[in-house]
Amino acid sequence: MNTIERREIAPGVYFSTVKDNRFKTMKITAVAMVPLTTENVAAFALLSQVMTRSCKEYPDFTELSKKLSSLYGASLTGSVQKIGEMQALSFSVSGIDDRYALTSESISEELSQLLCKVMFEPLVENGAFLEDEVEQERRQLIDMADSELGDKRVYANNKLLEVMCKGEAFALRKYGNKELINEVTPKALFDAWKKLLSTAVFEIFYVGESSSQTAEKVFTEKFSAIERDACSVFTTLVDRAEAAVEHTETMEVSQAKLLMGYRTDCSSLDDDIIPMRLMCTILGGSAHSKFFTNVREKQSLCYYCVSRLHRVKGIMVVESGVEFENIEKARKAMEAELEAIRNGDVSDDEIKFAKLAAINSFVSICDSVGGNTEWYVSQLGDKKLMSVEEAVAAFDAVTKEQIVEAANKLTLDTVYILRGE
Amino acid sequence: MQIKEVVSEKLQEKYYEIEHSSGLRVFVWPKEGYNSTYAIIGTPFGSIYNHFTVNSEEVRVPDGIAHYLEHKLFESEEGDAFSLYASTGANANAYTSFDKTCYLFSCTDNFKRCLEILLGFVTSPYFTPETVEKEQGIIGQEIKMYDDSADWRVMFNTLVGMYHEHPVRIDIAGTVESIAEIDADKLYTCYNTYYNLNNMALTVVGNVSVDEVLEICDKSLKSQEKVDVESHFPTDPYKVKESYIEQILPVAIPLFNLGFKADASKRFTEQEVAYVDILLFMLASNISPMYRELMDEGLINATFSYELFEGIGFNSIIFSGESREPRRVEEIIKKYINKVKAEGISKEDFENARRAVYGDALSALNSVSSIANLVEDFFFSKRNVFDYYDAVASASVEDVEKVLKNILDTENTTLSVVKGG
Repeated sequence: MNTIERREIAPGVYFSTVKDNRFKTMKITAVAMVPLTTENVAAFALLSQVMTRSCKEYPDFTELSKKLSSLYGASLTGSVQKIGEMQALSFSVSGIDDRYALTSESISEELSQLLCKVMFEPLVENGAFLEDEVEQERRQLIDMADSELGDKRVYANNKLLEVMCKGEAFALRKYGNKELINEVTPKALFDAWKKLLSTAVFEIFYVGESSSQTAEKVFTEKFSAIERDACSVFTTLVDRAEAAVEHTETMEVSQAKLLMGYRTDCSSLDDDIIPMRLMCTILGGSAHSKFFTNVREKQSLCYYCVSRLHRVKGIMVVESGVEFENIEKARKAMEAELEAIRNGDVSDDEIKFAKLAAINSFVSICDSVGGNTEWYVSQLGDKKLMSVEEAVAAFDAVTKEQIVEAANKLTLDTVYILRGE
Repeated sequence: MQIKEVVSEKLQEKYYEIEHSSGLRVFVWPKEGYNSTYAIIGTPFGSIYNHFTVNSEEVRVPDGIAHYLEHKLFESEEGDAFSLYASTGANANAYTSFDKTCYLFSCTDNFKRCLEILLGFVTSPYFTPETVEKEQGIIGQEIKMYDDSADWRVMFNTLVGMYHEHPVRIDIAGTVESIAEIDADKLYTCYNTYYNLNNMALTVVGNVSVDEVLEICDKSLKSQEKVDVESHFPTDPYKVKESYIEQILPVAIPLFNLGFKADASKRFTEQEVAYVDILLFMLASNISPMYRELMDEGLINATFSYELFEGIGFNSIIFSGESREPRRVEEIIKKYINKVKAEGISKEDFENARRAVYGDALSALNSVSSIANLVEDFFFSKRNVFDYYDAVASASVEDVEKVLKNILDTENTTLSVVKGG
């Protein structure tokens, strides 16, 4: 199993290396973490796109794309995600390992340099990003916000969280909304870039066979030239729901979406989160779950019926797609499964199977380059970074009592229904 | 039983191809240092197989039966296969495509037991009127979920527009009406026709040895007589059925597919597939002038993509994405294709594309699931995996120009649009 070597190379900037010779590619990901706020969410989201479109050395995006293609289809991407009430911007480069180049060249070194150029030497003039560049990416980010409606499952999930967390930062989409995106000026984007470099907490991951020395050296140099004052990011929790609110939306759809959002009374900063995660797996997190076995297979009510944890925020969502006339029936069926766990109706086998499924997914994730990075990035809002072995041991130690206790902590906050007329 | 070792020095990879005494073709691809193992068994029976002659009897089966059979094969007299896998921790699944059905699992422990389960349920069908009936509700909801999916609808409408009679135009899961005609007898007919070991292939990739795989195959599989089957596919006319097709769904930004139908009388070789991959990268990736024009005009966004879509009796290239003006996208794509056809391809673009496609293909060899699916795909298409890589590495401008002559006929296209009402 891979061990990670993590070093602080500047205040609040960590560089981690996962040395691995099994893969044909390498990948460097720099994750910048900032608080999720209405004021900055759109600017940071837009920044992640504008910064990976061009830079001082490659001012034209077609030229930059050609450069990447010539490096055997190397990729440079910018993306944004929401981890609790933290906005995480990822800048990453990946490409084939030097051993597989058809000619002799060091792809890993070129890519390390390129990622640094993109982050530290963007295409700016007079304290602003270039207007044309910004407009191109603004249009696309708005399209991304708009396209959510095309996928009803994604739409319904976002709507549930928006309704449920009204007044909380977590209600924001990871890229804000159309109005907020439209307000960002090229000047404001420049300020956001400055702010990002000086205040964001950075986690940089290097996965590959080639040496990470060049990458670590250039990042250390670049950050040493910046006056850093790393921000603190935290997520505000609502421990329990008062009374459940029901929200129904109608639209021309063939299938109804039924979602229920629960407050979990614990989060990724608590030790209790491990039993909660396992409880969620038993309820609706695998093909051996109560939802799958009973709501889908026995009652034939749906094709999918699952539960998912937003562990950093302390929210569990259960969801299904059903016939309009089966909405109530499905709700009762799903609630009955949760009630069963609350009453201690969980067999040793169910617990064992959920543990095995969780452990299987942990152990296999590090069999890919992206998985190695993802394993650590997915834990950025957690109490501490666990190795695969630590996670396996933690899940293995959970008892039935803890699982029942976890289920009894849940309080239903919001029911969201999307249906036809 | 014959064991053939297939090696690629350049890729530093090797696998074993075995003609098992039962008739099953077996591929084993060990990946040193990996924790997980991925196994997949497939049969060349997908949604387009709705008309065949077996033992001199001509049979027509309801639309969606291959997919229905996939769901039902997961059940044995003792219960469903998911519950058998539960004690292994493996993650199991199955899928049906146009031309094949595959059953798979990924595990980090208990490999032999998992393989036994897989081979066990795939070779022991158990259908009763009750179990068949029960699946109507589940698959009915799966169909309705796809009916609401804008991505899925825009793609199927393209196929409906391009093809007159070929069953590729029929939804993989069928319709709520067509699946109502499916009964246990029809499932047995399909099973006995197509689930014959002499037609099927098993691929295992990861932390595994040939001996382990053969031990379980020897134990679980009995030799089978070949079945005399002829699958019938109508020859579709060269010309598309409709040049434009539109559907209204609740979406905020219209989606489009532009399909270029080509002659499908002969399937592409692995070399031709390699040349088309390079060609499409040159024409439509972010290095191309066409992509640049579409972006600069604000006509596409990052969702723009392309694919070669081909199988028995169908062959087309499909460009897809989101656009507020799909007609203008169509115009620009066609104008550029005609220009390249008249003037020839750029040497610089060709070289960048060749390297990029090589890098992409190489990175697929990192993942046990990508490798296994690639091997199954190539086997059923009668193509060789390493020959594809060699063809990409040694492709020339002339190779690519030659393949261009017979595809991307700008007079033979279907534009499919899904937009809001």
